[in-house]
Amino acid sequence: MAETVQVVSFKLGSEEYGVEIAQVQEINRMVAVTHVPRAPQFMEGVINLRGQLIPIIDLRTRFGMQRAEHTKNTRIVVTEIGAKRVGMVVDSVSEVLRLPVDAIEDAPDMITGVDTEYIRGVGKIEDRLIILLDLAKIITGAEKRELEAADVDAVPVG
Amino acid sequence: MSSSDFFDRAEFIQYFRDETDELLQAIDADLLRLEQFVDTGTLDAEIVNSLFRALHTIKGSAGMLEFAAVQQVAHKLENVFDLLRKDHMPLTESGVNLLFEGRDVLTGLVRSAVDGAEEPAGVPDYVTRLDDFASVYDSTAQAIEGPRAHPEEQDEHLVQVDHVEVAAFEAEVERLLAEAQTQRQAKAAAAPPPPEAEPIDVDAAQAAVDALFAAAPATPAPAAPAPAPVAPTPAAPTPTAPAAAAPPASKPAVAAPAPATAAAPAAHEHAAASTVAAPAAAADPKRAAKNQTIRVDIDRLDLLLNLVGELVINRTRISDIASTLGRELGGTTNGRVENGLSQLAKDLSESSALLARTTNEIQESIMKVRMVPIGQVFDRFPRMVRDLAKARGKDIQLEIAGAETDLDKTIVDEVGEPLMHLVRNCVDHGIEPPDVREAHGKPRHGKIRLNAYHEGNQVIVEVSDDGGGIDLARVREKAIRVGQISETDRLTDREIIEQIFEPGFSTADQITDVSGRGVGMDVVKKNILRLKGVFDVDSVQGEGTRFTMKLPLTLAIIQALLVRVAQELYSIPLDSVIESQRIEASEVRTVHGGEVITLRGQVVPLIRVGEFFRLDAPRDPDKVMIVIVGLQGRQVGLVVDSFQGEQEIVIKPLSDVIGRIAGISGATILGNGSISLIIDVHSLVASAYGGGRVARAEFSGV
Repeated sequence: MAETVQVVSFKLGSEEYGVEIAQVQEINRMVAVTHVPRAPQFMEGVINLRGQLIPIIDLRTRFGMQRAEHTKNTRIVVTEIGAKRVGMVVDSVSEVLRLPVDAIEDAPDMITGVDTEYIRGVGKIEDRLIILLDLAKIITGAEKRELEAADVDAVPVG
Repeated sequence: MSSSDFFDRAEFIQYFRDETDELLQAIDADLLRLEQFVDTGTLDAEIVNSLFRALHTIKGSAGMLEFAAVQQVAHKLENVFDLLRKDHMPLTESGVNLLFEGRDVLTGLVRSAVDGAEEPAGVPDYVTRLDDFASVYDSTAQAIEGPRAHPEEQDEHLVQVDHVEVAAFEAEVERLLAEAQTQRQAKAAAAPPPPEAEPIDVDAAQAAVDALFAAAPATPAPAAPAPAPVAPTPAAPTPTAPAAAAPPASKPAVAAPAPATAAAPAAHEHAAASTVAAPAAAADPKRAAKNQTIRVDIDRLDLLLNLVGELVINRTRISDIASTLGRELGGTTNGRVENGLSQLAKDLSESSALLARTTNEIQESIMKVRMVPIGQVFDRFPRMVRDLAKARGKDIQLEIAGAETDLDKTIVDEVGEPLMHLVRNCVDHGIEPPDVREAHGKPRHGKIRLNAYHEGNQVIVEVSDDGGGIDLARVREKAIRVGQISETDRLTDREIIEQIFEPGFSTADQITDVSGRGVGMDVVKKNILRLKGVFDVDSVQGEGTRFTMKLPLTLAIIQALLVRVAQELYSIPLDSVIESQRIEASEVRTVHGGEVITLRGQVVPLIRVGEFFRLDAPRDPDKVMIVIVGLQGRQVGLVVDSFQGEQEIVIKPLSDVIGRIAGISGATILGNGSISLIIDVHSLVASAYGGGRVARAEFSGV
């Protein structure tokens, strides 16, 4: 029997993405997000998830796409990587599906929408292409970028 | 049937760990007190009893959880204390050391049992040594007791209940009681009488004791035949109940290391017999004492605090409604309706005032619940100082004051490590060896003092010693050698002392296992700063050193002023707020492109929070709402849209994923579930002064 991975698939624009189900904690409807000033653009803000503060990344902005109006299909996919929880705003969540491991290929360079460094591979299922994301990279990337930003407009202390 | 069917094992293990930790701590403290009686030929019976009881409890709980190794060592140690309290064994230094060691062996065993870690090495060796040590006195005890008791022996059944069996019996009783309790918890309603509780999975010994136990409640107390325990002629009436009960107990399976001591003196025997009755009765008061405190997960307290926050917000809303209602009614003219309604409005505002008071009290109480005495941390030091001093050949007395000083649990947890480094430092570098002290005209024994006390909204914790003080010349020399400063630097004494906080600095000539590995003081300073505390050192050469840390009472909860800026609520920590003011826009002047106001003759720079945070915040053309904040003598006016009142808030850090944001120190969740970011006054003040250029660039960019 072929080995499979379970992924949660969602959409950003016309492209379909997936993250491993083990990394998804829950999927929520859009809620009020508290803006965090001077945070990077893609950082939508923070939400209160049952008493916990969860940072929210706008995945479109993260991938350099046009920001979209939120609709009734907009979802926050709350992921958990290590001890870090992050919510990602996506256009809509499609389904949970099983991808045979051998149907996953390395990220081809031709994908232009997303920086390939955040992609773990591309899964093919029938005629659909599902871009599997490397969440750890998305998050550490966020931190790195934040540090760079902090260097630029750091407030000198003392 | 396994006893573990009746309780949640994981939960019980957790309980066992907490309880045992406390007991081991208490054992340490008691052993230290006991040590003072070494070779004096006297003893404080209370200390020995307390040690005996502590080990006994550990043994009982360990038995329940089937932690055999813990149970065994606890039992053997308990046995030693039994010999001590019965005066069968003199208290010697080697004995005390063996007991201290035993306490550590037990700690290791408990840890390995609870965490599933590897069993510490050397346990069998220790057990052998302990056995050898105790056996000398065990046999002495028999030799003394045997002949003396024999002629007086009246009732062989009673007599056979020797102290070891009593101990085993007590353990069993406690075990059963605990079990019964767990059962009661499990089957909340129909609680069976404890003694008849299901027989536990047993070996012969336990069954025997069970039988003994089952008999006990039927006849009120085995001691009943002789009501007065000191009665000179004991057990003259045929002791039916004990007789029935005792034979099974005398089966060899009972964990008696030595054959039952033939006979004890009659009076002695009675004491033993009445102890048999005691546990059942004594267990209750003991349990009652235990019930004075409960353990609560700190997260639950945080949750409670959040809920109270919600209550506070709703309370404010209700009093708003009440006053609005009163106002509105004042404007109507319909007499009858007005009368009825205004009475209602009055009632409403009265009860909302009551609600306010109660809410505040609840809030305060919860804050108090989070406070724990710093003694919890201090307690570990007497033993540490004793061991370290011995290892270093020093004679050190540790004084503790202010152990009852309360501060927030999170701070108490965090302060242990820096304190430990400081105390180690005093032992290793501070206090001189006895001969050196004597040569300097000081008493041979050095003193280390731990002290804590409240000062305003802070707690001061001091660690001081009467040792040699910091050798400035040596510190300077060392700092030059490791390249922290250069030969030509002219430093004040203070600046030289500061060098010891540099990473990797140590003046110890040789690396010891105590300190002097070059880690320590820098870690101490970092930890204290992280706790938002202040750290200071005073040192007088030849006289001693004093480390002082000032810590906030609580980290998690602060009083904050809520302000609105561009539709968002921000919190400003109240301890840095000096005043809030509403001024006319015309009072704002410009100096070098930066806005300032003059406040009582002092020029105060302004920061428009909305613009600093790049929010869409239009300026009010007429009035300006200003919160004056101050830090280390510098003042800054923060311009906001409106003031929203004061509130206690629970600080939560922003996620690592977001990273550090200039001007924001964290966030809090308000009662209605919305989030308020906490303004980092430190960085705003710094940007208005030190980073003036950047701050102004900020303004001009908007």
